[in-house]
Amino acid sequence: MVRDRLLLYAVAAVVTAIVLAPLAAPGYVLRYDMVFVPRQPLTWDLVAPAQGLPRAVPMDAVVSVLTQLVPGWVVQRIALGGAVLLAAVGAGRLVPTERTGVRLLAAVGYAWTPYLAERLLIGQWGLLVCYAALPWLVRAVLELRAGRADAVARVLLAAAPAAITPTGGLIAFGVVSLLAPQRRRWRGSTVAVAGVALLNAPWVAAALVTDAGGTSDPAGVAVFAARGENWAGPLAALAGTGGIWSAQATPASRALPLVPLVTLVLLALAAAGFGLLRRRMSSDALTRLLVLAGAGFLLAALGVVPGSADVLRWAVAQLPGAGLLRDGQKFLAPYALLLVVCVALGAERLVTRMERTNREVAGVMLGGVLLLPVAAMPDLAFGGAGRLWPVSYPADWQVVAGRLAADPGGEVLALPLSGYRAYSWNAGRTVLDPAPRYLPATVLIDDTLRVGDVAVTGENARLREIRQLLGAGRPVAETGVRWVLVQQHRADQVDPATLTGLELVHQGAFLALYRNPAVPPSPVVVSPVRWAVVVALAAAVAVVVAAMFRRYVGGLLRGNLRSEVQTLEDWHA
Amino acid sequence: MRKALTLAVTGLVAAVLGFLSLAGLAAATTATEEEAVAKAEELVEKAKQANEPDPYVPEIYGSR
Repeated sequence: MVRDRLLLYAVAAVVTAIVLAPLAAPGYVLRYDMVFVPRQPLTWDLVAPAQGLPRAVPMDAVVSVLTQLVPGWVVQRIALGGAVLLAAVGAGRLVPTERTGVRLLAAVGYAWTPYLAERLLIGQWGLLVCYAALPWLVRAVLELRAGRADAVARVLLAAAPAAITPTGGLIAFGVVSLLAPQRRRWRGSTVAVAGVALLNAPWVAAALVTDAGGTSDPAGVAVFAARGENWAGPLAALAGTGGIWSAQATPASRALPLVPLVTLVLLALAAAGFGLLRRRMSSDALTRLLVLAGAGFLLAALGVVPGSADVLRWAVAQLPGAGLLRDGQKFLAPYALLLVVCVALGAERLVTRMERTNREVAGVMLGGVLLLPVAAMPDLAFGGAGRLWPVSYPADWQVVAGRLAADPGGEVLALPLSGYRAYSWNAGRTVLDPAPRYLPATVLIDDTLRVGDVAVTGENARLREIRQLLGAGRPVAETGVRWVLVQQHRADQVDPATLTGLELVHQGAFLALYRNPAVPPSPVVVSPVRWAVVVALAAAVAVVVAAMFRRYVGGLLRGNLRSEVQTLEDWHA
Repeated sequence: MRKALTLAVTGLVAAVLGFLSLAGLAAATTATEEEAVAKAEELVEKAKQANEPDPYVPEIYGSR
């Protein structure tokens, strides 16, 4: 038993090492939405954005707190390494089987999905944390249904990491509210659902108090819809757990013509495994799992089905919060989990049948299925074939951060107007501008997203006003910002006339910082409603602390040490 | 005879899968920083020739 458990962790560790090998090098992996900085300041804009939608609430607050204790590069490695490792172990532990080989198959399969690869390559590590928490959460909810003591605490502790992003929080809430309720044990399930709702409170509160409004540009529906990765189209890509909108975040191997056939093989295996799952799980729980996975798949497919795409476009433009659905492929995680579990059980069924005739062949077959995801997408290895590579920030960044810390107050405008940058020191990899996370000030970066030829308008009204002024040829000094940060890699795009009237404070190889003498330093004015986000954060933290207390401390205080040790062993089992 | 044939076919399939994954891993792990830069430059050049937008122009979040 212990040997099997160790083997599962060992295989998960090997997979993690293979996927994230480049992170052994020093520095920060900066790619698309993945930005880590040495020490992220705990600013109001990161806790409760005043002008933008809370896409990284409470993730940014969590990172800000953690980087006060340990450097950002450590947090990045723990987050990414932990996500891949725990995803693999969680899936391996979730499969209802006695066979270690089948558990290993599920572990490798769940840690080597196109979903994980694509979300890793687009840098959405918060979503990967949710993906990793998902098997643990499903397992905890199934234990709650089975009436296991302290299962509510387990559910909340598994849901907490998932809820660091709005999408992850919604997925966790969907899992618990769909799987947990049952008439016989309504009290536990009600507490669990209410607890997970409270874990979602920070981003909900931030969405309610922001000035950005809750609606988004409907142009985003078409550009962020699932994308066909080969001849089989977007629905087949989704069926194989891929289909992210971005070609740059898709492993090259997904374009191979044989990929749809691999998906077909996996679906056939999953169909075979489903029968076995039906025998080993209560029909009620299984039906709910199916509904959950199906709902995830439907959300992912919304943008590509003609009728539903129109409805989604309307919803995104009219209904606050519906913008969360425009990159629907994110919601595929429950489908990926169910698919992997069924594939693993399908392989078990196949192998059990083969064992009757030839034991060696059965072993070889299991090994073959285990290697299938790796063989079909080898370019996830080594950080997506070298796409994730740590770099160091030029010293300029530290100098500019120091200047701003020494003379606080006022907004910083990052020029040229662009949310994403491709720095020469980051080998030209596109990354979200690190300035709002690196600098101890309110940093304004353009929130227009350019996907191919389409510009998806952002929600920040202040940026809109600045864009209009600069577009009309007015100097930046008239915008009311106190600081201007010019990022030199695109210096050619900043018209010198734009900088008229500014004082140069720092000129480095990569960054130039200007001060606007027309704007005096002003303290950060915090609207009282933003405290609602802090209260919501406190409530979420209280839920986690209470769950931890119930899980680890309560039993010990009651003197029931022996049973608690057993429970702890079970938790790590 | 049937057993031997099954064993041979299964072994062959497993060998192909194993080779593919090992070869893929080997290819993936040989990617270096220089190769990544060279690949980026190649993509930029290709985009120029095809009169398409430069994929590394910073303000582009991605393309479909």
